[in-house]
Amino acid sequence: MSDANVASQAYVPFRQGLFRFEEGVGELLGGRCRHCRTWYFPSRRVCAKCLSQKIEVLPLSKQGTVYTYTTIYQSTPEFQVPYILVYVDLPEGVRVLAQLTQCSPEAVRIGMPVEVVFEEVGRDQEGRAIIGYRFRPVGPWVRES
Amino acid sequence: MEDVYVIGVGMTKFGKHPDRTAVDLGAEAVLEAIKDAEIDPRRIEAAYCGHVFGGMVTGQKVLAQVGLAGIPLTNVENACSSGATAIREGYLAIRAREHDVVLAFGLEHLTTRFRGALTPGEDDLEAAVGLTMPGIYAMRARRHMEEFGTTREELALIAVKNKRNASLNPYAQFQNPVTLEEVLNSRLIADPLRLYDCSPVSDGAAAVILASGWAVAKLSSRRAVRIAAAALRTGTVEVGLPSMAFEELTHRTAQDAYERAGIGPEDVDFAEVHDCFSIAEVLRVEGLGLYPVGEYPKRVARGEADINGRLPINPSGGLLGKGHPLGATGVAQVVELVRQLRGEAGDRQIARAKVGLAHCRGGKAAGIEGAACTVIIATR
Ligand SMILES: [Zn+2]
Repeated sequence: MSDANVASQAYVPFRQGLFRFEEGVGELLGGRCRHCRTWYFPSRRVCAKCLSQKIEVLPLSKQGTVYTYTTIYQSTPEFQVPYILVYVDLPEGVRVLAQLTQCSPEAVRIGMPVEVVFEEVGRDQEGRAIIGYRFRPVGPWVRES
Repeated sequence: MEDVYVIGVGMTKFGKHPDRTAVDLGAEAVLEAIKDAEIDPRRIEAAYCGHVFGGMVTGQKVLAQVGLAGIPLTNVENACSSGATAIREGYLAIRAREHDVVLAFGLEHLTTRFRGALTPGEDDLEAAVGLTMPGIYAMRARRHMEEFGTTREELALIAVKNKRNASLNPYAQFQNPVTLEEVLNSRLIADPLRLYDCSPVSDGAAAVILASGWAVAKLSSRRAVRIAAAALRTGTVEVGLPSMAFEELTHRTAQDAYERAGIGPEDVDFAEVHDCFSIAEVLRVEGLGLYPVGEYPKRVARGEADINGRLPINPSGGLLGKGHPLGATGVAQVVELVRQLRGEAGDRQIARAKVGLAHCRGGKAAGIEGAACTVIIATR
């Protein structure tokens, strides 16, 4: 489902505080320590490096590279297998785990450039779309369909 | 501070025990340890019980079964390190001269509760996007392959080794060896890891009786094995982009244990390490400094980690072969150290074993490398 389709419906984020998603456009939210400038995802109460509690919540880069990956063939009942998981390194120096979409298990590689997308990951009890974040390949890595 | 010894060990067979409870398994292990220690059970002054899914006051229920109700008991939860943490608590109580004889045990009944892949826990952010425990280790395996040229076959040979060792251990869940082809053809769980790369879901219990140096002399326990160190650490919050092909947590815990024991990795004769997955054994052994970083899989292929090799790893069969009843696992590792150091390990006996090391790590939460890690060093 494209970002624009989701925007016309009522939706809920899959978790609070992880991203901003308005009018079909989203961005991941990190936390940056005001004192030592270290970034975190998700944001946190205390900087793990300098123990400062002054953490500001700021948008993270949309693009990053795959640090490592796997295809999951056995999971808990709420997930349909198979699906690809990637740890993505963002330029801020944070590593984000998410599913990789629009890519086959054979095509995923370490170092592959990817970008974050916001998609419906399920429905809540009132039938509203639950929005979550995933990554997809960018540039020459995009699969032609 | 007081020296601490293990004077008795016991465990149940690990595996599927559909008709028994965790408490019943715990009682069997405790009674075997008391018998092995050849002591009057009334000498036991305190107890520590490690378990993860046993529910409230499980340890007390075991004490009631074995006639020890009334003494102080603490239930301990540290994921897969729960049993080892219980041993450490008993060790500290003796070190501090609070007690002279202590029981530490671990138990778990999982086969009626879980099937398939465990996750870091339902509240965890990474579990919520689809992370499983095999998944995290699959991604670590992918990095080890990328950085050190480790091959799929080399990882499979670790499973082959541990299941072969398990076939020599009557307490192990798997009593039959497997071939390289069987590992490589088992079904995919989290690519590149396959079914035989993963430890099974298991039921079981294990127990040890710890005693002070004074009590060992008083009881004239001739088979006592000394605990030279029992170290515990928690995972730190990951800052930046740390390597997933090396375990900082295991390394840091081991450094503390080596320092306390006055023993280095070069002095270790054999080790039981937390091989919840084939790749996990690689990360443990390299983090512990027992083999050079990046080289362990190639050394396994050369037979160096076999029971008759240069530095045997997981002679009991490890988690891959012996089974992995979470709370019992860390205690069962110490049971193996003691049996090896006493020369009572039967067909899997390591020649001239004087220093053994047990490593456990358990739990995963988003943002930290691992939750709890223990390293116990035992000497004859
Ligand atoms: Zn800071």
